[in-house]
Amino acid sequence: MIKFRNVWKIYKLDGDVEYQALKGVNLEIKEGEFVSITGPSGSGKSTLMHLIGLLDKPTKGEIFINGKNVTYLTDDQLSTLRNEFVGFVFQQFNLIPKLTVLENILLPTIYARKKLKYDPKKKALDLIKKFGLGGKERSYPNKISGGQQQRVAILRALIMEPKLILADEPTGNLDSKTGVEIMNLLKALNEKEGITVVLVTHEPDIAAYGKRMIRIKDGKITKN
Amino acid sequence: MNYIFFVVKAAIEDFRRNKTQTFLTSLGILIGVFAVVMLTALGLGLKQYINDQFAALGKSTLFVAPGKILSGGRFNTTSSLTSIKFDNRDLLRLKRLKEVKEISPIFSKQTTVKSERKSEDSTIFFASEAFFDINGFKIQKGRFFDKNDINKKAKVVVLGPKIAEKLFGTIEAAIDQKVTANSVNFTVIGITESRGGGGFGGPDYDSCMFSPYTTGFIFNPEKNYSRFAIKFDESYSVSQVKEAIKKEFLKRYDEDSFSIIEPGDILSAVNSIFGVLNIVLVAIASISLLVGGIGIMNIMFVTVSDKTKEIGVRRAIGARKKDILVQFIIESTILSIFGGFLGLFLAFIGTLVVRKFFPAYIDIQSVILALGVSSAIGMIFGVLPAKKAADLEPVEAIRYE
Repeated sequence: MIKFRNVWKIYKLDGDVEYQALKGVNLEIKEGEFVSITGPSGSGKSTLMHLIGLLDKPTKGEIFINGKNVTYLTDDQLSTLRNEFVGFVFQQFNLIPKLTVLENILLPTIYARKKLKYDPKKKALDLIKKFGLGGKERSYPNKISGGQQQRVAILRALIMEPKLILADEPTGNLDSKTGVEIMNLLKALNEKEGITVVLVTHEPDIAAYGKRMIRIKDGKITKN
Repeated sequence: MNYIFFVVKAAIEDFRRNKTQTFLTSLGILIGVFAVVMLTALGLGLKQYINDQFAALGKSTLFVAPGKILSGGRFNTTSSLTSIKFDNRDLLRLKRLKEVKEISPIFSKQTTVKSERKSEDSTIFFASEAFFDINGFKIQKGRFFDKNDINKKAKVVVLGPKIAEKLFGTIEAAIDQKVTANSVNFTVIGITESRGGGGFGGPDYDSCMFSPYTTGFIFNPEKNYSRFAIKFDESYSVSQVKEAIKKEFLKRYDEDSFSIIEPGDILSAVNSIFGVLNIVLVAIASISLLVGGIGIMNIMFVTVSDKTKEIGVRRAIGARKKDILVQFIIESTILSIFGGFLGLFLAFIGTLVVRKFFPAYIDIQSVILALGVSSAIGMIFGVLPAKKAADLEPVEAIRYE
């Protein structure tokens, strides 16, 4: 589903100094996989995640999604792909504070360019009930707990029925009990719904939820 | 549609949470819209007032005045200070014309008038009995002076309601009382109805006094007149009458030393002056709209910085550059329209207050203009900050803490 072919990411610092964040990464993630990407800070795992999430473009090399080269897509095309193909879950939850739970979950649908096959509001309300957030539809994010916020974020990632969920340290801001709940939730989505999950974390016990481990260090994949 | 709802809802929720900042930001637009609408309202009221005053003048009226007053539909600015004065010979010539039905010679004197209890500065118009009819005056109490008073050089005076109240306390108390001007005693025989307004350009007739022109010769031994007011026979056209008067006057004066004026001519000249004046005032007031717009632009730049992370999140979940652009332009437009509405509301209140002593009204055009201009300002001044927001790289924005 996702394929990296000799991907480099080089940042130009002051003057002629360069920083090589990724050094010729080759990688393939198949549909339905649960992959953990681990590595120390500064290893390039964030860069790798941003590239998988189509938030950034490689300096060299090519990225394929479902066999299609996405390296040279325009900004609008990439936005559409992010909207339809990827669901993001962040460490900071990153909900929009002035939108309610329901509105936050619906947010990706207002940017949808394709006609949705379902009524987004009905789907959102169903998801809210199913994921134990019933009664919180009209609450604002600052009025609910961290675990609930992260669940809202996951629902926001799910509303467009993506093929891929990209979770960046999803438990980093949660206590361990809530963290486990969130991880079980991601695991269930992977096993029951067949959604591909890519998890970026530096915590080994969180990474252990993945069925495959990718270790990255100094911009290179060291263990796959 | 759904998209616009989300953007508007988020913006309003934002403003609700930052009430002080929102208010201060839209203050510039508020003041600008207030100033523009208020000035337009005053201009409109003034114009209406002047038009009403002229409407009071009967049809088939003409004025003859020394000097070239109008040229090409505008007030002449070069030779208005002509030195000629009309006299009894001119009056007789005009009276002889078959087209002229009624005529009043007019001259005025500014002086201090005294009642037993007070003294006030006022203007006395010396005229014939026809003056009241030609100028559309109505009597409120007592009577106008008549032909008899003119012939007898009666020392009588008709007061405007304002000066009557100032001198005697009430209008009723003024009748049959004495007023003194330059040591000459006049008896008050009547009070006119109020004509309203005054105080801007034209004479405030409510504060004036009127007396027979023959009596006025005490103050005017040369028997000069500053103008003639004429009511002409309706079976003649205005141009015929003008032509007849012109022919008569050309025997004595050259063409540039007198003017024959229709009220309508003055009206359009006055209107064109106030039109220009109003445009100048509104243009000056518009500067505050510009400043308001810059204020909004400034705060929008701050907002974009504050929301960098949010922009990143929105980009990550599928917002295009265009979506972000529209979002921030809508936000600044709402801010600006909010200011526009408040300004309009204040101008509305202001107009109600001012109306007690000055005619003013807000027409639908200024409402549309005010809201149109404020939304345009919001849009225009929102573009640069919104462009900055839209051009943020998604990955930079989402990393921003």
